[in-house]
Amino acid sequence: MSERTIAVNYIARVEGEGALRVRVHDRTVEEVQLKIFEPPRFFEAFLRGRSYREAPDITARICGICPVAYQMSSCNAMEQALGIPVTGPIRELRRLIYCGEWIESHALHVYLLHAPDFLGVPDAIQLAKVHPEAVQRGLALKKVGNALMTLLGGREIHPINVRVGGFYRCPSRDELEGIRPDLVRALHLAEETVRFAASLTFPKIEEDYEFVSMRHPDEYPLTEGDLVSNRGLRIPVSKYEEEFEEVHVPYANALQSVRKGGGAYLVGPLARYALNRDRLSSRARVLAQEVGLEPVVTNPYRSIIVRAVETVYACEEALRIIDAYRPPPEPFVPPPARLGPAVGAGISEAPRGVLYHRYRLDADGLIAEAKIVAPTSQNQKRIEDDVRGVVTRSLDLGDAALTDLCERAIRNHDPCISCATHFLDLELIRD
Amino acid sequence: MRGVTDDPARGASVRPLVVGLGHPARHDDALGLEIVERVHPRLGESGEARSCVSDGTELLDLWEGRELVVVVDAVRSGAAPGTVHRLEVTDLPVPPVFRITSTHNLSIADVVALARSLDRLPARLVIYGVEGERFDPGVGLSDRVAAAMATVVDQVLTEVRGPAPRDGDRGSGENGHA
Repeated sequence: MSERTIAVNYIARVEGEGALRVRVHDRTVEEVQLKIFEPPRFFEAFLRGRSYREAPDITARICGICPVAYQMSSCNAMEQALGIPVTGPIRELRRLIYCGEWIESHALHVYLLHAPDFLGVPDAIQLAKVHPEAVQRGLALKKVGNALMTLLGGREIHPINVRVGGFYRCPSRDELEGIRPDLVRALHLAEETVRFAASLTFPKIEEDYEFVSMRHPDEYPLTEGDLVSNRGLRIPVSKYEEEFEEVHVPYANALQSVRKGGGAYLVGPLARYALNRDRLSSRARVLAQEVGLEPVVTNPYRSIIVRAVETVYACEEALRIIDAYRPPPEPFVPPPARLGPAVGAGISEAPRGVLYHRYRLDADGLIAEAKIVAPTSQNQKRIEDDVRGVVTRSLDLGDAALTDLCERAIRNHDPCISCATHFLDLELIRD
Repeated sequence: MRGVTDDPARGASVRPLVVGLGHPARHDDALGLEIVERVHPRLGESGEARSCVSDGTELLDLWEGRELVVVVDAVRSGAAPGTVHRLEVTDLPVPPVFRITSTHNLSIADVVALARSLDRLPARLVIYGVEGERFDPGVGLSDRVAAAMATVVDQVLTEVRGPAPRDGDRGSGENGHA
């Protein structure tokens, strides 16, 4: 019996690094292990003993790509714990800064990380040589997302203007008007992005996903809503831990999130779109139809089109919010005068999917316990299933080609492994 | 990251820029951010400072129109922790020592290659890479890395306050090599 091992020092173009091990025996895929070494456990420990007020700033540092998501989920959890209702313009501004993060993150993934897979180049650097206009478009789009985050957050990365209850300072109408032309341009770029993404050639694969996303009565979900799935789940966030659990996987030295009594599920753009297509803005919906995007996308490679459609949505939504904006009388809703022991859970839709936070506070508003479940932890098991399928279907390929396919299967889901891990080694064992 | 200017580099600015790359909660990976913290108050009118914890492509916008950009990042090449690597970007590829992605999405070497392909390099780009020891989650620099900080801060300040770049440098030399 011969055994072959391939090691790739990291899976290129995935945010951060991790490791994948695949073992094939007698033409059967016996083992797929995606190792994610470092979920936000350091931060959960770091938060203990800190004031509830500090959670948004501290958790924003977990990920350089999605700081707003961490701020919003932590604010939602704290506001639920303390009974702080956030409505009106403050709530709208939260959606607005979140739009900035979606534009920024999706533009990065679509053009710099995902597109090379479809255009026969190894990375964004080579893509910039053969399709410089595409990379420039992506960078221009991403820049507008950053500018929106800066305007509201005070800093492009790790916004510092967000606080429990709202913002430290809210922008004037003029300030928001100032970015409007950039967003109009971004909307055009995003529309081009949908056409660009739809023009790519995709492997013909359909997966059977349990999609999980937020769902709101009126809106495409960002900051508020219940949790729903395409298999009948519908729960408020307070029931999250009754339906989902983290199980320890020894090879990853980490926790993987699964449905209780069930298995893998998928969060992120494919899930949001499948469960909320009727909540898209007009241009986004029309464009999706125009390019032939199916109502439920089960081909993970086509997630690049869904991200582009969501980018159009984020631009349209940002423009809608700016046009309707009236500054609130106060930039934040104050906390209650008397704090008490409390527990609160919060979710929001990070670019990569549902981000869950839960905090237990003591009588002085200090954090006694923190729990953070990142989208990538939730998708990890489902990504392993995708990889298993890829390897099973492609056993006759050589190691290099098969390794490349595994990498693509992972990149389809834009795992933000930097939230959770360090180095990605790919090991393919055939015996 | 306190004390670092929040002004986005929108539009051309001729003032030199110092950018620190890194992750604030990955031990030595925070080194670039710490350097910028110390450099910023001493720059005065001679330059601007920014921290960047994102994917690195942000650099292309930050250095747009600049005559001089100094980037500081932690690297991992196997050299002794605290070792300072200095590189002035020319037509040559950035050597592998700077190809440490750590927690960034694109390494500084990748960003330089991308900028070169798109003709978006600043007129002069100097990169300081300081050898890190640990990159696991947590705060605080390791001792030997922390010990190197003062020297690097002085070196960066000397880069910025040195003779002004010659007029007409942009668009020649390393700039425009695709």
